[in-house]
Amino acid sequence: MELAGTEAVFFYILALFTLVMAIALVTAPTAVRGALYLMATLIGVAGLFLLLHAEFVAGAQILIYVGGVVVLFIFVIMLVNIRAEINEPFRTYTRQRRLAAVVVIVMVLGVWYFGIQQDPFHLVRQGPVVALIPPPGAPPPPVEEPTLGGRISEDTQEVGSVLYTKAALPFEIASVLLLVAIVGSVVLARTRRQEETFD
Amino acid sequence: MDIALEAALKIAVILFIVLTFLAYLVLFERKILGWIQLRVGPNRVGPWGLLQPLADLLKFIAKEDVTPDTPNRVLFALAPALALVPPLMALAVIPFGSTIELFGRKIALQITDINVGLLYVFALGSLEVYGIILAGWSSNSKYSLLGGLRSAAQMISYELALTLSVAGVLIQAGTLSLSEIVHVQSGYYFGIIPRWHVFWYQPLGFIIFFIAAVAETNRVPFDLPEAESELVAGYHTEYSSIKFAMFFVGEYAAMFVVSALATTLFLGGWTGPGAERVPLLGVLYFSLKTGFFLFVYIWLRGTLPRFRYDQLMQFGWKVLVPMAFANIFISSALALWR
Repeated sequence: MELAGTEAVFFYILALFTLVMAIALVTAPTAVRGALYLMATLIGVAGLFLLLHAEFVAGAQILIYVGGVVVLFIFVIMLVNIRAEINEPFRTYTRQRRLAAVVVIVMVLGVWYFGIQQDPFHLVRQGPVVALIPPPGAPPPPVEEPTLGGRISEDTQEVGSVLYTKAALPFEIASVLLLVAIVGSVVLARTRRQEETFD
Repeated sequence: MDIALEAALKIAVILFIVLTFLAYLVLFERKILGWIQLRVGPNRVGPWGLLQPLADLLKFIAKEDVTPDTPNRVLFALAPALALVPPLMALAVIPFGSTIELFGRKIALQITDINVGLLYVFALGSLEVYGIILAGWSSNSKYSLLGGLRSAAQMISYELALTLSVAGVLIQAGTLSLSEIVHVQSGYYFGIIPRWHVFWYQPLGFIIFFIAAVAETNRVPFDLPEAESELVAGYHTEYSSIKFAMFFVGEYAAMFVVSALATTLFLGGWTGPGAERVPLLGVLYFSLKTGFFLFVYIWLRGTLPRFRYDQLMQFGWKVLVPMAFANIFISSALALWR
């Protein structure tokens, strides 16, 4: 994967920002700050998606994770403790350090092996406009004039067609998983007596 | 370099025009509310009260900026910015008109036409809740906190309906780019009815979009987060001076963006008779359509009482969301049938 010019500058800025925010996230003294650092981390990741010309994924990342999931986190954190937050910040480090170290080492090795030894990036990224799955016999992508929107890829259509053809089964499994999670959380959070009094 | 300069100039011009317009929108709101209530409205500062926005601004700047005893000063100062910046950023993809010729260059009346423009607007819209929720939390006041929590719950609930209601337009237009969505809507059916989405396929989507948008911008009758009678001023109770002004402008900027988006998605944007040949006419049509929505906002405020909180949630989840799903279903079926 080769980076040049402004792309490289943006990549390193975004990567550094994401890493710093991620470290700040795991070391944050209070839960609300942690959630905000998580938001910043996710925005950085969305920026990296943009650099990969995955505009749709970047937008969906902001819309769903930053605008939805983290908001719910903050919502819950704010409901649970306001005073306790200031008086006694919870213990950040518990006895999971050794496990965390093992997981991190495995992940670094994995990135080193798959990312550097096998170099999968050059497969997905050649030239300015790259289709995830180029249709057979497709003409080479036309060279576009620079516009204010920058180079524009057909990312949305590709995500859609891949989602409903190649990734249909994982997609359905994920939706069932989410449904189970919702039903499970309702069952765990509300006892039968609560339901009866509510009715 | 030319492109960067063009973009910078466009951003400056559009920000200037829109912010001035927002200042006068406040004046018009007060005037129209006055007329609805058989009053005159502001008429002392300048002829017809036209200098009132300037006086308001000076007053905001001159007021003392009070910071309460807060758990987090940085967040307290950051929250107004988080409420103001996303709606202003969303202006970047709104097509205000077609292309004009200026100094021998073709200049599109849109800052940038990114191919996921609609998603961009919604992503920014989903960030708006941060300003409100963080203001509520960092103010260290129970009114603010309750306002912030209500607002977060309301925005998450109605954002779902808002996003789903637009899916019908996407199915029909087949693109996320706002300028292309406008182009799809040019022309007429039977030579008389404009091909706007609101007339064909999407009347239901339009209604859902507008109701959810009013809720999303925290306006009457969905202004629970700042219900005066119970929460003083909701999430901005503790804010004063220019920080309060930023919340204020942010709310109006969000109204403007939502109205412009409704115009673009459902009312054909800048299209209209003669707009292709005379681009400035397109800008006029766009302003009139957007102004219509802003007038409806004010009209609603002068007419309707506030919802109760449980009514608000019931309406959002049990009426709007199912209707939006039905709309997607109908739109898909029509798209297949066509």
